[in-house]
Amino acid sequence: MKNPLRDREIAIIGYAETRIERRSGKTAYELAGEIMDQIAQRTGVVPADIDGLATVQTHSEAANPFWAPFLGDHLGLSLSWTQTSGNGGASPAGNVARAAAAIQAGLCEMVLCCNADAANTRQRSDQRSYRTDFVEPVGLQGPPSYFGFIMRRYMEKHDLNFEALGKLAVEQRKGALTNPNICETFNKPITLEDYLTSRMVAEPLRLLDAVMRCDGANGVLITTTERARKMGVGKMVHPTAFAELTNFDVHNQTPDVTETGFSVVGPSVFEKAGMNHGDIRMAHLYDDFHIATMMQLEQIGFCGRGGGSDFILGTDISPTGSLPLNTGGGQISSGQPGLAGGGVQLIEAVRQMFGEAEGRQVPDPSTALVSGIGCINYVRNWSVSAALILEQGA
Amino acid sequence: MTDTQVRTRPLPQPWKLTEPFWEATRNAKLIIQYDPAVEKYQFYPRSVSIFTGRSNLEWREVPGKGTLYSFTDIHVAPPGFEDLAPYMIGVIELDEGVRMMTPLQGITMDAAVLGMRMRVCWQKLSDKITYPAFEPDR
Repeated sequence: MKNPLRDREIAIIGYAETRIERRSGKTAYELAGEIMDQIAQRTGVVPADIDGLATVQTHSEAANPFWAPFLGDHLGLSLSWTQTSGNGGASPAGNVARAAAAIQAGLCEMVLCCNADAANTRQRSDQRSYRTDFVEPVGLQGPPSYFGFIMRRYMEKHDLNFEALGKLAVEQRKGALTNPNICETFNKPITLEDYLTSRMVAEPLRLLDAVMRCDGANGVLITTTERARKMGVGKMVHPTAFAELTNFDVHNQTPDVTETGFSVVGPSVFEKAGMNHGDIRMAHLYDDFHIATMMQLEQIGFCGRGGGSDFILGTDISPTGSLPLNTGGGQISSGQPGLAGGGVQLIEAVRQMFGEAEGRQVPDPSTALVSGIGCINYVRNWSVSAALILEQGA
Repeated sequence: MTDTQVRTRPLPQPWKLTEPFWEATRNAKLIIQYDPAVEKYQFYPRSVSIFTGRSNLEWREVPGKGTLYSFTDIHVAPPGFEDLAPYMIGVIELDEGVRMMTPLQGITMDAAVLGMRMRVCWQKLSDKITYPAFEPDR
């Protein structure tokens, strides 16, 4: 399979992340400005050095159809390539691959991937198609309701041990307590009992199964490895494989909703990287709901179908364990910065690879799997599945 | 609607594509798009067949019977539904081989079993909108 990323020609040379907050009162522009400021401060790169901008569609600025030009102008960027990705939580990981492809195609040389959304301050998105007639009038409470359906089908097909989901909740919260960027709401430990007795949202899905929408931003700076070396960059991370699938199994009108695009994307990304799951030193899996993390572990191939509960209970997923997982708290224990949320996983992986995850540093962060999930289809599962493999550079 | 008013349950906003569906439900009829070229139904309504990409779709009336594919009990309700919570929503697999998500009626969480037979029933939400729901087909 063709994979121009595998030669490590592309490098992530800087990362940035804001604090995640409830009702920050900020705009996505201000949040993006914090990213630009951190990137400039840490890498020495100035706006004039940047000729590509990849960003994500947001809840807060969705009404602006000129988002990338506006954002670039706000940050002082003159651009030969822009990208606005509307793949929800799969956009930040996907934009790393899109930026790399644009650089390799000669369209630009240095890309700021900037994901910013003040989704909890300002909600301006409006999703039509089937939603106005066939979803909203039913009383569906957004993604939690869909995941209620999905969990029930999973429970019908497989043994679901809620203590395994509870372990994800407790372990991720432990990581969050070492992460200064988490939303203040999550700055306290939780127990398995707290998880098992948290209030029902969409039965069988509980409050502590789910993310909370917040405001926040994150970003990475990407260029060629050659240019990074010329710049004298000390730390870099190479994206070496990427796979994405939107609208899995779309022609099947009665699909098994416990199967997702990861059943394709998981094997595909490993084949492209020339790796298998045993080569992955840490996993940063998109966690809008803990059941989604479990399903990804199964479908990406860390364990068999239905084996997620036993795998989680039998695996040390702490930073020093055999498969460190969502070490900074994931989104469930950090807060979901709107449609910049996928960046929570991406940034934590890069931070670990830069050796800067203080208090939760993974001893060997040489390889990482980062995933993204975006949008939900009508009575199906999530629309977009994305998987990115990162390798630590020298 | 102003911010100070209590939000009411959102109603469908029929467009050209979905108007026939809502016209049928006003008369307690359930119609589903059908592609005669591949002899398959599809739901939700679209502008083309997902199988052929062509627009030669027909509306066909169906009996509104099927099985319960999944269900949930909504405890935290969206705006306009607060007074109803907790309430059940189901995914119904129609005998024609498509799935619909609708409110459930005449059933409790204890009595709901995946695979049970269900039939369409109707909720009159306004003069213009009669919404399909499903209840046990006893």
